[in-house]
Amino acid sequence: MTNTTIENNTASEAKSIGVRRFFAYLFLIIITILCLFSFYLLLINATRSNSQLQAGFTLLPGGNFIHNLKNAWNDASINIPRGLVNSFVVAALSAILATYFSALTAYGIHAYQFKLKKAAFTFIMAVMVIPPQVSAVGFVQLMYKLHLTNNFLPLILPGIASPIVFFYMKQYMESVLPLEMVEAARVDGSHEFATFNRIVLPILKPAIAVQMIFSFVASWNNYFIPALLLDKAHMKTVPIMIAQLRSADYSKFDMGKVYMFILLAILPVIVVYIFLSRSIIGGVTAGSVKG
Amino acid sequence: MKKLLVNLLAVSMVFSLAACGGNDSKDKDPVDDTKQEEKETEKETEKETEKETEKETEKETEKETDAEVQNDEGSVFNIYAWNEEFKGFFEEYYEVPEGITVNWIITPSQDGAYQQKLDEALLNQETAADDDKVDLFLAEADYILKYTNSEYTQDVAPLGVTDFSTAYEYTVQAASDDNGVTKGVSFQCCPSALIYRRSIAQDVLGTDDPAEVQEKLDSWDKFEQVAGDAKDKGYLMTASFAETYRAFSNNVTSPWVDEENNLQFDQQILDWIDQTEEFIENDYTLTAGIWDDEKNNQMFEDGKTMCFFGPAWYYNFSMENAMDPEKGSYGDWAIIEGPQAHFWGGTWLLAPAGTDNPTMVADVMNTFINDEDVCSKLVSEQMQFSNNQVVNQKFGEDPEYGNEFLGGQNDTAVFVDLAKNIKFENQTIYDQLLNEGLQTAMQEYFRGSVDKDTALQNFYNYVNETYPAINTPS
Amino acid sequence: MNKLDERKRSGGKGVSYAKWGYIFIAPFFIAYITCTFIPQLLTIYNSFFMNYRDGLTQVGPKFVGLANYVKLFSRDNTGNIGILKYFGNTMILWLMGAIPQIIVALLLAVIFTNYRLRIKGQSFFKAVIYMPNLIMASAFSMLFFTIFSNVGPINQLLQQAGFLDKPFDFFSKTISVRTLIAFMNFLMWFGNTTIVLMAGIMGIDQALFEAAEIDGANALNVFFRVTLPLLTPILVYVIITALIGGLQMFDVPQILTLGQGMPDRTSMTMVMYLNNFLTTSKNYGMAGAVSVVLFIISGLLSLVVYRTLSRQR
Repeated sequence: MTNTTIENNTASEAKSIGVRRFFAYLFLIIITILCLFSFYLLLINATRSNSQLQAGFTLLPGGNFIHNLKNAWNDASINIPRGLVNSFVVAALSAILATYFSALTAYGIHAYQFKLKKAAFTFIMAVMVIPPQVSAVGFVQLMYKLHLTNNFLPLILPGIASPIVFFYMKQYMESVLPLEMVEAARVDGSHEFATFNRIVLPILKPAIAVQMIFSFVASWNNYFIPALLLDKAHMKTVPIMIAQLRSADYSKFDMGKVYMFILLAILPVIVVYIFLSRSIIGGVTAGSVKG
Repeated sequence: MKKLLVNLLAVSMVFSLAACGGNDSKDKDPVDDTKQEEKETEKETEKETEKETEKETEKETEKETDAEVQNDEGSVFNIYAWNEEFKGFFEEYYEVPEGITVNWIITPSQDGAYQQKLDEALLNQETAADDDKVDLFLAEADYILKYTNSEYTQDVAPLGVTDFSTAYEYTVQAASDDNGVTKGVSFQCCPSALIYRRSIAQDVLGTDDPAEVQEKLDSWDKFEQVAGDAKDKGYLMTASFAETYRAFSNNVTSPWVDEENNLQFDQQILDWIDQTEEFIENDYTLTAGIWDDEKNNQMFEDGKTMCFFGPAWYYNFSMENAMDPEKGSYGDWAIIEGPQAHFWGGTWLLAPAGTDNPTMVADVMNTFINDEDVCSKLVSEQMQFSNNQVVNQKFGEDPEYGNEFLGGQNDTAVFVDLAKNIKFENQTIYDQLLNEGLQTAMQEYFRGSVDKDTALQNFYNYVNETYPAINTPS
Repeated sequence: MNKLDERKRSGGKGVSYAKWGYIFIAPFFIAYITCTFIPQLLTIYNSFFMNYRDGLTQVGPKFVGLANYVKLFSRDNTGNIGILKYFGNTMILWLMGAIPQIIVALLLAVIFTNYRLRIKGQSFFKAVIYMPNLIMASAFSMLFFTIFSNVGPINQLLQQAGFLDKPFDFFSKTISVRTLIAFMNFLMWFGNTTIVLMAGIMGIDQALFEAAEIDGANALNVFFRVTLPLLTPILVYVIITALIGGLQMFDVPQILTLGQGMPDRTSMTMVMYLNNFLTTSKNYGMAGAVSVVLFIISGLLSLVVYRTLSRQR
C-alpha cells in the first residue's frame, strides 16, 4: 500500500463522515420536531379562546392564556393542583421503594450464597413478564375488603416488588460490584446492612438514578389500578382527571380550557425535567451496563 | 463525577422531602379540605346574605328552625351528581342552613361512571361515617328505576315532601317505585322540542314563524322531505346521526328487555336506524355524536344546520356556541314540537336511605318544586322549564314574556303544551348504557367502518360485557 | 467451586452469611406475595364463579366450573372469538410501535456514541428525546384526540392547505387509529430505549471499535459485527421491557378511543377488554377468566424469554 492510497482513503473517509454527519443531523432534527411539535401545539392552543380554536389553526399564540389559566385552575370538579400533589406523592414514594428494595433484593441474591438463591432468582425472572393487571381483579377485591380504597398505600407498596427494576440492578451489579469490596468491608467489621447502605448503594447510584426516573414515570403515568381504586375527588391522581376530560359531560367545555388542563398536568414535570435533564441524562448514561 | 453525585443527592433529597411532605399532607388533608371548604362556604354565604338582605326577613323563620334541627343532624351534606348543572342553581337559589357544609361529588355520567360511583357509595352507606354518607343524589330518567325500586332510597313523604300538586305527573311517577311510594322530585320538566335556526328556515321553508314551520315539520315524512329541500339549498337537516334518537326512543311501546331479560328492539328504534341510514346516505346529517364538537360547531353563525332537538336545559348545557358573543347565532332560533312529542333527560333529586340530614333533604326538594319564587327565577333567569305548573302557566300566558335567545319567542308557552304529552313508560334500569352503546355501535356503521351485522354484533358484545344479566342473540 | 466460594466467604471462621441473603430478599417476596401472588390466586379462584352486579343487586358468587372460559372462547354471530381478536390487536399494536422504537433508538444510540461523528448539542437532543416519556399517557392521548379530531388542528391544517376538502376521520379507519396508537407509543418510549442502549454501547470497550476500524471495517460492519453482538444482553432487556409494556397496553388506546377500541373493536387490547368487565358489571368471574388467559400468555412468553436469557449466560 502506498502513501497516496492512504491519503485518498482518509480524504474520502472525511468526505463520507461529512455526509454521515449531515444525515445524522437531519435525522436528529426530524426527531426533535416530532417530539416538540405536540408540545408546541398544546402551548399555542392553550393561549387561544374557544372560538379562535374553532376558527382554524395558526402557529401564533392567542391572548387568552390568563383567561384559560384562571378557568382551569379554579375549576371545582377537576382540581389539577391537587391532582399534581397526589400524583407526585404516589410516584415519588413508589419510585423510592421500588429502587431501594430492588437494589436490596438484587444485592441479596448477588452477594450471598444460600440454598434458595437460584430458585429465588428463577422465580423473579419468571414473574417479570407477567403484567400487574393480571392480578388486578383479586387485588381490587382484596383492597375493598381491607377498606384500602381511596388510599395511596395500595398504589405505593406494590413497588417494593418490582421484578424489572430488580433485573436491571442485578445486571448492573454484575458489571460494577466486585465482591472483594464487600469482603473488605466485612473484615473492617462493617455490619451487613451498613455495608449495603454505605458502600453498595453509592456504587449503584447511576443505576438507581435510571430506575428512579423510570419507576417515577411509570407510576406517574399509571391509570389502570388507580382508576379502579380512587374515586374521592381529593384523592384523584392526574391521569384520572385527564381521562375525565375525554367524556361527554366536558364537551361543553371550551377547548382552550381543555388544552390548559393538559398543559397544567404535564408542565411541572417538564419544568423539573428541563432543570435536571443534564444530571438525569448524565446519570442515566453514566451507568453503563454490561450484560 | 462529583458533580453528578451532588446532583443525584439533590434529586433524591427533593424526592424524599416531597415524600415526607406528601405523607403529612395525606394524613392531614381531609381535615384541611373540610376546613377550606367551610371557609369557602362561609364566604359564599356571606356574599349571598349581602345580596339578599331584602329577602332575609321572609326567610328568617325558616332559618331558625333549620338552626335548631342542625344540632342533631349532620354538618356535612354530600350531594352526588354527574355534572354542574344543578350545582349552579343550588348555589344561586338555595340558602344553605348555617353550620352545614355542602360537599359536591361530581362524576361524569358517560360509560356508567357516575352510576358506578353512586352504587359504591350507596352500597357502603350503612357503614360510612356520618360525614361521608350520601345525603342527596341526582338521577336521570334512563336509570332512575334502579334506585327508586331499591332499598337504598327512602319515601320522602315522612320527611315532609308531600305536596306534588303543581309538579308534572310524569316527574312524580318517575320518582316513585312500583308501589307508588315517591322517593324524590325533579327540579325540571323536560319536554323536548325541535330547535331550528330561523334564518335557515326562512331560506328553506320561506318562513320562520313557529306555527307555520311546525305545520311543515309535523311528521317524519315531512321532516325527511324538508331535509331534501334543505340539502338542495346547501344546508344540513341535523348535525348528528343521533340527533333524532330521543324522539324515537322515548316513544317505544316495549322496553329494552322483556320479562325474561332478553334484549329486544322496539319498532321505534328500528325506525330510527332506517331514517338515519337514509339521512347519512343523502348527506342530510353528519356522523358526529350528539355531544361532539363537530356537531356543536354547527351552532356558530356560519353553521349550516337547520334543526336540533332538546329541552329547555339544552340551551344552557349544549348551545354555548350559539351564545358565543363573537361568532354565535344568538336570537336566530325558535322552537316547535316537531314530528314526534318526547322528553329528554331531566334531573331528579332522590333521597337516599340513611341520610343524616333528612330535614335539609326535604327542604331542598320543596324549594325546587314548591317555592314559586325560586321556580320563577329558574324560568326567567336560567331559561329552564320548571317543575311547577303554576309558575310555568304564569310565564306561558304572559304576553310580555319572551326569550331573547329565541328571537323573543315565548318558549315556556310551547313547553307547557308539550308537557301534556309526556309519558314515562317502558323504562328499564339499563337504558342509559343501552342507548349509549347502541349509538356508539351504529355510529361505526353510519361512518362506513363496519357493516350493519357487525355493528349489531359489537353492540351485543358491549351488552354482554356491561350487563351480564341481559340475554343477547349471541 | 461453590463450596470453595462459601468457605472463602465465611472467612474460615465458620460464620454463615446465608441468613442475610434471606433477610435482604424477604421484603421483595413479602410484598410480592401480598400484593401480587394472593390477588393472583383470588383472581384464578374468581374465574370459576359467576359473580357480577345487576343494577344494585349482587349476583353470585356461584360456582360454575369452566363456564366463564367456555363463554370467553365461543364464537359470536359474525364468527369471531373476542379474546383472540383482542390478543391479536394487542400484538399488532405492540409490534407497530416497538419495531420502529427499537430501530430508531439503536440508530440514535449509535449516532450519539460515535466519537467520529462528534455531534454537537448532544445534551439538547438527548433531553428532547426523553421528554415525550414524561407526558402522562392519558394527557398525551387526550392531546392526540383533540389534535386529530374532525375539527382539530391537523384536519384544519390539511383543509387550509387544500389537501382535503372534507375532514379526514382518523377515528373511523382501523389503520389510522392503530397508526396513531403505535405512533404515540413509539414517541413516548423511543427516548427511554435510546438511553438504555446508549448506556450499553458506552459499556463496550472503545478499543474494540478502534481495532475494527484499523482492520478496515466500515461503519455498517462495525455495527453488525461488533456493536450488535456485544449489545445483545441489553437488547434483550429492551425487548423484554417493551414486551411487558405491550401486553399491558391500556391507557393510550383506552383514552384515545373512549374505551371502545374503535373502529370495530380493532384497537381494543387485552387489558381494555379486561377493564370492560371490571367497570359497570363488576363481573369478577369473566374478568378473572380473561386475567387467567392473559396470565398463561405472559407465562409462555416469559418461558421463551427465560430460555433466551439462560442461553446467553
